[in-house]
Amino acid sequence: MMKIDRTITLLKQGKHITEEAVYSLCLKAQELLMTEANVTHVDTPVTICGDIHGQLHDLLTLFGKSGGVEKTRYIFLGDFVDRGFYSLESFLLLICYKLKYPDRITLIRGNHETRQITKVYGFYDEIMRKYGNSNVWRYCCEVFDYLSLGAIINNNIFCVHGGLSPDVSTIDEIRAIDRKQEVPHEGAMCDLLWSDPDDVEKWSLSPRGAGFVFGQNEVNQFLHTNNVELIARAHQLVMEGYKEMFDGGLVTVWSAPNYCYRCGNVAAVLRIEDDLQRNYTIFDAVQPQDGVGNAIIPTKKSQMDYFL
Amino acid sequence: MSERQDNKKFTRPGGINTIQVDAARQVHMRTMQARIPGGGSTTQSSTSRYKVPQTTMSNSGPRTPTASRMIPPARHICNNPNNPPCANCGGVIIPSPKAFLPLEDRPSMSINNWTISSKKRPILNAEELHNWETKELRGLGALPEMIFGNNFIRVMNTEHKWGIEYNTLDALKMVALSDSGIRVAHSKAWLDSKLQQQQNNAEDSSGIDMENSLKIVKNYDWTYSTEYEGTVVGDNKDKYSFKVDNNLTLPVDKLSKQDKILYFDEMVLFEDELADCGVSMLNVKIRVMNERLLLLSRFFLRVDDVLLRVYDSRIYVEFDDNIVMREIKKYEGNYNDILAKHHISHSHDPKAALRDSNWVAEHTPIIDRRCEVMTFND
Repeated sequence: MMKIDRTITLLKQGKHITEEAVYSLCLKAQELLMTEANVTHVDTPVTICGDIHGQLHDLLTLFGKSGGVEKTRYIFLGDFVDRGFYSLESFLLLICYKLKYPDRITLIRGNHETRQITKVYGFYDEIMRKYGNSNVWRYCCEVFDYLSLGAIINNNIFCVHGGLSPDVSTIDEIRAIDRKQEVPHEGAMCDLLWSDPDDVEKWSLSPRGAGFVFGQNEVNQFLHTNNVELIARAHQLVMEGYKEMFDGGLVTVWSAPNYCYRCGNVAAVLRIEDDLQRNYTIFDAVQPQDGVGNAIIPTKKSQMDYFL
Repeated sequence: MSERQDNKKFTRPGGINTIQVDAARQVHMRTMQARIPGGGSTTQSSTSRYKVPQTTMSNSGPRTPTASRMIPPARHICNNPNNPPCANCGGVIIPSPKAFLPLEDRPSMSINNWTISSKKRPILNAEELHNWETKELRGLGALPEMIFGNNFIRVMNTEHKWGIEYNTLDALKMVALSDSGIRVAHSKAWLDSKLQQQQNNAEDSSGIDMENSLKIVKNYDWTYSTEYEGTVVGDNKDKYSFKVDNNLTLPVDKLSKQDKILYFDEMVLFEDELADCGVSMLNVKIRVMNERLLLLSRFFLRVDDVLLRVYDSRIYVEFDDNIVMREIKKYEGNYNDILAKHHISHSHDPKAALRDSNWVAEHTPIIDRRCEVMTFND
């Protein structure tokens, strides 16, 4: 436990974590996550958090603004890694908290917690840059395979990263999935991590040729069948940090402020009280400052070039 | 990514230490340097140094010009006091030294009768988005994930009241509202497995109506491919028009000269990760020198394992001659054919090149080119 405290301190300072330390953390995390159900039961009060995407400083703000893991229960809806510059630190911090406070933090798998996606969208590159080899990336990917697919709060609120699946009408069907694998290209597990709500009449094919979009009817059906009142999901960027749809039957929570360091959006977390009341906390991106106190906006490719 | 020697000079007061090798630090440094158009590597020690008279430019600043490289007399004017000229070289400081979050930057400058301006704002908020979804872009199924709908770059001739601008809404209005025919790489496998499942469940009436759910309800070009070539603006927008002359080429010699860049801005108009099956992005950038400017609007599409597409639209203006040229180039090719051209197999990430639109444009077959010119002679 002493070791985890030390790692947490280092992570918060953005300091280097040795490959051996990551390995041992990931092993412990796998052992712990292995025992969890596909859909974890969580009691109120609890704070639901959306995509993080490697924005460590903003993750620290999130904990600061919402009470901190010492006092508050959390559900993270996935997409801890990719895009931001601190995917590893963000993910390891969450893993450390999970090991230290197993009943106070629930980690759900997002579509970015896969080998294939992290190879393209930044996490793999980050590890190569920081360690010069891909071992740490492999250790983390093995943890990804053990993350839960969803959570249920007080039997009233269903939490998932993406959305619904036509193959899943009851939450029990999710419990029957063999989740300990790389996310497949199709099927219930894939849909739960990928699908999006839209204003469509019924299940329909995404124009991309793979994946589903679902509408109010599917949401109402799912809520009714499972006797729940809300689906809380993440997966889509929202300027205001959260967006309720379908008469409040579904909410998108987004927790990466100023996404990709240039979108200018705010972030939100959703606290569910004992009486199931919803309270949103909004927060801004950390403002880095230069030597004379001016705010710095890190933008990609801001340097001028003689393009032709 | 190259390590800079002077990274060590930068220390953030308080806050969180970052890992030395981190890209954030380098991006940060680049941003700092971008604000010092002289290309200096030193950090400004005081904000007051930005406040120099706007219409004058010192030729005898601390960064003394060498005899071999004479700086021409300044003739440009910075129109927005938030984006003043650099005390050393006169270049417009973008982003504004007083940039804040959410970022709004609106620099502008003038040379002769030409005014160049640009604007950067965050992505659309819910209200704006709703308006676009239900009115402006009705029929376009799902809008791109990131829409910088208030961004633009505009080049305006104030004397002839004619200009051209690149904005997000007009670009998205050109996205086709019909099926593009393009499918993600795993589409067939995905559909086949669903059909298989449907057959297996044929007797099971409790399942959902798979046959219907495998139809696309909203048909639109989900790749957001746009052949946008800019929007002509101004009172005389209909009076003057471009004349096509495909024998013309942009004067690469003039544009290759390392003339001092007085104004540089770059922005994304929209971007979508195509549900992590690639990227679709429209990016615009401009550089203004003392005698001419070049603007490049680039639509870049990568559908992983399927397709690469680059649509370029360039605007070139020669200020003293009042000549405007527009060049359109379209590139398109099969993903795997182009990937095969990338020989750096020892790279840990051979697909990195396919994320670089410059590399892709260089290695993808050109499928269309057009060049046109406009002078203000009626």
